Amino acid sequence: MPDHSFKCIMWSSIALLMFPYTASAEVSDLDFLRSTGKIYSVIAGVVIVLLGIGVYLWRIDNKLTKLEKQIKDEHETN
Amino acid sequence: MLLSWWKILGILILLYVVIGGLSVPLNPGITDLNPGQLYAGQQKEVTITAYNTHFKTAQPTRIWLKSAEGKFLEAQNVQILTENKLTCHWDIAKNMEGQQYTVIGYNNIDGSFLVPDGIVILKNDSAEEANTAEAQFTDVNTADFVKPSGLRFPYRSILNETIRNTFFHVALWMAMFVLYLLGLYHAIQYLRTGKNEHDWWSVAYNKSGILYGILGLITGSLWARFTWGGWWTNDVKLNMAALSMFLYFGYLLLRNSFNDAEARARISASFSIFAFVALIPLVFIIPRLTDSLHPGNGGNPALGGEDLDHTLRLFFYPSILALILLGCWMAQLKFRMQKLAIKAGIYT
Repeated sequence: MPDHSFKCIMWSSIALLMFPYTASAEVSDLDFLRSTGKIYSVIAGVVIVLLGIGVYLWRIDNKLTKLEKQIKDEHETN
Repeated sequence: MLLSWWKILGILILLYVVIGGLSVPLNPGITDLNPGQLYAGQQKEVTITAYNTHFKTAQPTRIWLKSAEGKFLEAQNVQILTENKLTCHWDIAKNMEGQQYTVIGYNNIDGSFLVPDGIVILKNDSAEEANTAEAQFTDVNTADFVKPSGLRFPYRSILNETIRNTFFHVALWMAMFVLYLLGLYHAIQYLRTGKNEHDWWSVAYNKSGILYGILGLITGSLWARFTWGGWWTNDVKLNMAALSMFLYFGYLLLRNSFNDAEARARISASFSIFAFVALIPLVFIIPRLTDSLHPGNGGNPALGGEDLDHTLRLFFYPSILALILLGCWMAQLKFRMQKLAIKAGIYT
């Protein structure tokens, strides 16, 4: 458990720290997201929220699988 | 199955919010006035670009300048170019100099739409002055305007369609706060009773909260890019929210640095109380004391009025509820996993 969440935190922190520097780098390849009253930027936001929750569930699933395996192994050794 | 009704409810409400929040149309509005400055004593053509309007299919669209006293000056010679574009003429009189006027449009399909203080009348320095007559201001009874039927979100310039982010960005932070509050409750309960279950609940709720915080920062950054113009502005609320996220990251790191379960539970419970207590001034107090672009901060009006009118509330509050329910669900999964691991004698 420690190794995984540590990596996750490290990358999130780096991403957060990078934010101010990426701000000026972008020019305007974002016309699509700006079309039709910027509706696609809203869609992108919704996708991010759903993806974020999905990834979190995926990680829980993975850990549960590992746990199940451990429990199974323990049963077999006993 | 019966005990899990709230999980299904969470999904159903989220579906309602996503579908409804994206499909309800926006009120018509004016996106651009060209030129936005007129000179006193001049006759000038103004091009009006609008959003969600039906200039071609509607009955003739009428356009007015509305003065601060509530008097109306109608535009002449309105020429419809497209559904969303028209040109019109105004005779600007000398006595209108130095004032700001609201531009109001009306037709039978779109109802009324306006830009507050959209046009400024400047002093005319050039010698050629055509118009010395007084402006023909009239009274218009706006109560006679037909309101379009159906649910519509308010149109705000700059925000445009992104006003819908209220359901997906603002609601995330509200839900995060509730989840942290639940985490805090269990942290206090752990310190009071020493029951391990409270420690597991506390960390599970805090992790859901951290997930929402990260998503809130990303969606907020995206929103800022298309309204304020940068992925990250030096807005105090942004920096303070990032700082509070680091506090909770610290909480996770701290938890992972113990081998002894009891010490880990005790210290992390204390730390989560500290993190929550720090969160309140960081996110709710400091941004209110200084300048901020966020509503309700730095002297800005709080969410309310046009920013959060009753149509937005129809989706905003359910969205918070749905996200809280989903967050509790994820926390419950974490909790059950932890319980299972302990029961099987596996230390995690």
